[in-house]
Parts: sequence; C-alpha cells; structure tokens
Amino acid sequence: MVAIETNQPTLVSTRLPVARRRRRRQLQDKQYALLLMLPAAVVLAVLVGWPLVELVKDSLYSGGLLTGQHFAGLSNYRTALSSGEVQASAGRTGLYALIVLPVELIAGFAMALLFKALGDRARVLRTVFIYPLLIAPLVAGLLWQFMLAANYGILNQLLASVGILHNDNSILWLGDPTIALLAVAIPDIWLTTSFVTLVLFAGLQALPSDVYEAAKIDGAGPWQTFYRITVPLLRPVIAVVLVIRLVDAMSAFAVILIETQGGPQQASTTMGLEIYNTFITYGNTGLAAAISVLFMAAMMLIAFIALKTIWRPGGAAR
Amino acid sequence: MNCRLRSKTFKRVALWALLGAAVVFYGFPYVYLVLTSFKSPGAALEIPPQVWPSHFTFTNYSSVLEQPGIVKAFVNSIVIAVLATAISVLLAVPAAYGVVRYRTRAGRVFVTGALVVRMVPAIAIGVPFVGLMARLHLTDTQLGVALAHITIALPLSIWLMSSFFEATPMELEESARIDGCSRLGALARVIVPITSGGIAVTAVFAFLASWNDFLFALLLTAQRSETVPVMIGNFQTEYGNEWASMTALAVLYSLPVVVATLLFQRKIVSGLTLGAVKG
Repeated sequence: MVAIETNQPTLVSTRLPVARRRRRRQLQDKQYALLLMLPAAVVLAVLVGWPLVELVKDSLYSGGLLTGQHFAGLSNYRTALSSGEVQASAGRTGLYALIVLPVELIAGFAMALLFKALGDRARVLRTVFIYPLLIAPLVAGLLWQFMLAANYGILNQLLASVGILHNDNSILWLGDPTIALLAVAIPDIWLTTSFVTLVLFAGLQALPSDVYEAAKIDGAGPWQTFYRITVPLLRPVIAVVLVIRLVDAMSAFAVILIETQGGPQQASTTMGLEIYNTFITYGNTGLAAAISVLFMAAMMLIAFIALKTIWRPGGAAR
Repeated sequence: MNCRLRSKTFKRVALWALLGAAVVFYGFPYVYLVLTSFKSPGAALEIPPQVWPSHFTFTNYSSVLEQPGIVKAFVNSIVIAVLATAISVLLAVPAAYGVVRYRTRAGRVFVTGALVVRMVPAIAIGVPFVGLMARLHLTDTQLGVALAHITIALPLSIWLMSSFFEATPMELEESARIDGCSRLGALARVIVPITSGGIAVTAVFAFLASWNDFLFALLLTAQRSETVPVMIGNFQTEYGNEWASMTALAVLYSLPVVVATLLFQRKIVSGLTLGAVKG
C-alpha cells in the first residue's frame, strides 16, 4: 500500500486542487464514501470476523461435535503448547519457509534482473514465465508427485542420465523422511518464483534511471550498483514480497496434502496439515481451534516484525 | 572498439541463453503433464520415462469424462466460482472507488483491514466455517463454498480495483457531475465504463481464486457440491497410480486457466503486478 504511494508522489499532488475545491461538501463526501465501502466491510466482517470469533470460542471448549462440548478454559492451549507433535510441526513449518524463501527470492530476483536487462523484446517469454502462477497448487502437487516418483519419475531419470545418480531410482524423494520436506518444497518453488520475479520486475521498472546514470559516471561496477542502489531502492517492494511469501509458505497445504499427506512418518506435516489432521482425522475441534489461534497469532507477529525490520519506514528507502 | 562490440554481443547472447534455459526449465513440467495425458495408461508408467508419447491417444480423456460425477464437479466448480466472483466484484468496485476517490481515514482503515484479512491463514477460517455452515444449513451446498471463497476473492478484488482506480483520472467524474450526473450516476455511467478492463481482470482473478481453491472445498463439500479439485483428490486416493487418467483430469481442470491467460495476457500481467505490489 505505502509502496505504491511512495512510488507515485505525482499522482497525489495533481489531485490536491480538486480536493480543495470539494472542501465545501466534504462532510457529505465522507459519509458517501463510507456508504460505498459499507457493504464490502460488512460482508468481510461477517465472513471473516464471525468465523474467527467462533474459532476463539471453539478453542475454549473440549469434546467433538458428536460427544457434546463442555467448557474447558485454556486446557486446549496447554495441550497444544506441550504437544511434541505440534512443536515438531511448528519447527517443520519454519524450516519449510527457510527452504522455500531464499531460493524463491534469489532465483526470482535473478530472473527479474535478467528480464530488466533484456527489456521489452523478452515480453513473450515473460508471459510464459508467469504461467505457473495461475496453475492450481493441487495440479502442481500432482504433477511433481508424478515427476518425483522414484522409479517412473522423470527427475531421477534426468539426474541419472547426466551422471549425478548411478542408478535411476536411487532417490526416494517423497518416501524418505529426511528429504520429504525438501521434495514438497520443489512444487512451491516452481509455482511461486514467478510471483517474486513479477513483483520485483515491476519494482525495477519503476526505479528512476538518472540514479543509474549518475552511478555509471561515478564509475560504479555492476555489483556495486546492485548492492548500493538497486537493493536499497527496492527495499519496500522486497519487504512486501517477502512478507506475502512468508505468510503463504507457512500456510502451505494443498501441495503437501496431495504429494505426501504429510508423510512419511509426518516428515512433511506443516502447521496447515497438523490443524487439518487434528480437526478432520481426530475430530478434535477444540484442539484444532487452539492450534489455529496460536498459529495465526505467531504468523501475524512474524509478518509484523518482518515488515518493520526490512521496510525501515522513513529510512534509506527513498 | 570492435573488440568491445563483440564482447557486448557475447554478453547479449549469454543472457538470452540463460533466459531460454530458465523458461524451458519452467515450462517443461506443464508441457510434460499435457504430453503424458496423451499417452496410453501403460506408457505413462514406463521405466525409463519417455517425454514424447510413442503414439497419441485420447482414451484417457474419454475414460475420465465417463467417470461418474465429473460433469457435476465441473458444474459445481463453475457455479461456485461465478457466484464468488459476482459477489466479490459487485462489492469491491464501489468500495475501492470510495477509498480512492475520497481518500478518507475510514478508507485507509478499510484497505488496511483487507490486507490483514489477506494474512489470515485459510485453515483458521476453514475450521470454524464448517460449524457455522452446519448451523446455517449450508453444509455441502454451492452457496456455502462460495461464501468461503469470498473471504479470499473479496480482499483480492478490493486491492486490485483500488490500484485500477488509482490509475484512472478522477477529474472525469467531476466533469460528469457538472454535466448533471448524480454521484452514483457518474460512477455507473462514467467511471465503470472506463475501468471495465480493470474490472474484467479483477473478475478473472476472483474466479481463479475460487477455481483453484482446494482447502475450503475439501472441508465444506461432501457429494452434492464436490468441486473438481476435491474430485481429483478423491480420484488420487482411489486410483493411486493411474497417472494417464489423472494427468488428463488435471489438464481439463487447468484448461479455463490457460484460456483466461491467453485471452487477457497483457492485462493479467499488469493486474498481477498491481495486485502483488499492493496486496
């Protein structure tokens, strides 16, 4: 939000005289604006606010839909926090984000710089590159499950033909607990690196070219230009991309469920699957709700801290 | 001079080669999916795997289309997505306009609120949604799933429409008002027509958000309103290794996405960019 506002100062300033002219009916305008927003605000409040209130309420009760519920205070939270399974899932969720984010950010940034360097002649390839972004996570999960299969999978075959593997079914991508989390991360990387590229590319396009000319005159090399100019100027955009990807990666669900159902031996069970299993497989609504509340709170906190530290409002960004 | 020119050409060629490799690497998985869907069921599981089918066959498609419930699943997916899209766009257009045109404090709070909603993990809404839908007698109905999808599609639509309105000169509304239009009339007759491209892109994205969703559909549907992704999930648990049919099903499911992208190509890129930077 703020990223756009700081990128387009001219847009705001051209509107100022208009704003002054309307001051007479400003009160009316305010009410009218509110009226325009009201239906959407009410629908959002009902469809998101109501479930969240129910979620917190559910988390204070124990017993499933069948056995009848009774008030349990904070016991669900105690169970959630002391459960080794939940802790392990939280750890795997963090690890998953740590695998996915750096790869996506580095590869995505590299692609954005490449597209920027090649300019408009790469327009068609740019479109091809964003295709994965529109494909359903479910399809990506299926597709990679097929390609990562140990025997008839094409990835092992490829690795064997290049000579990295001695025999073409020696890596059990989805069957080996030690690498399953890595294997379910691959479709995510495939799906969303283009998102990072697209946003950073748009950010690069909006950077003022005179700064680069000045750097060139001062004799800055390409690496220095990237590190001293591009990265600091893009800081708000990088912050937004990182936080969105962080939140989405931590709530990854469809790809993992389709590929491994969280297995083998729960090696790929992240928080989304942990909550889903608690809720659907074990039918423990109260505990599932308590884990959800804790998960959501942790995620909001992390997103907030990430935004605050990377964005550095009013700092070097402009 | 000549030497420098040559090194420049070399650099250019290297960059294009790099880009070409990246695009092949990126595009290959999907092409492989489509090619596999034309293989015979046996050939799809061949060891070692062949990329190009030895002969093309449509049997996977015909066998998938004979599956009981497939037509119903597609109808459900379409009805739910249309419902979620229509409601989201109808609510988002006036709301985003109200935010951008008048720039009030309430508007800023509203847009920030939509951003916060975007950060809420779907599972945290999905779990209580199951109980709520049961209470409202909407369990396993198209409307129930559509309502859940609005929680994703509406914030997205608000953000996209705000950025499209940001790029629209609001002075046009002023002049329409001087010409005697009411405020609502100016919005309907002047602003909506000139932002129709943006509205179309917003609708495509709202539709995709619903069409691609797996989690809500999985939690909220049983048999009556089962959507395509839920059906694919069931198909996978039942028929595990029938990859030929599964790839055909996946291709059919992603067809609307591919068509929409082809139709709206350039607009979609700009929409994605705006939506991403802002939302």
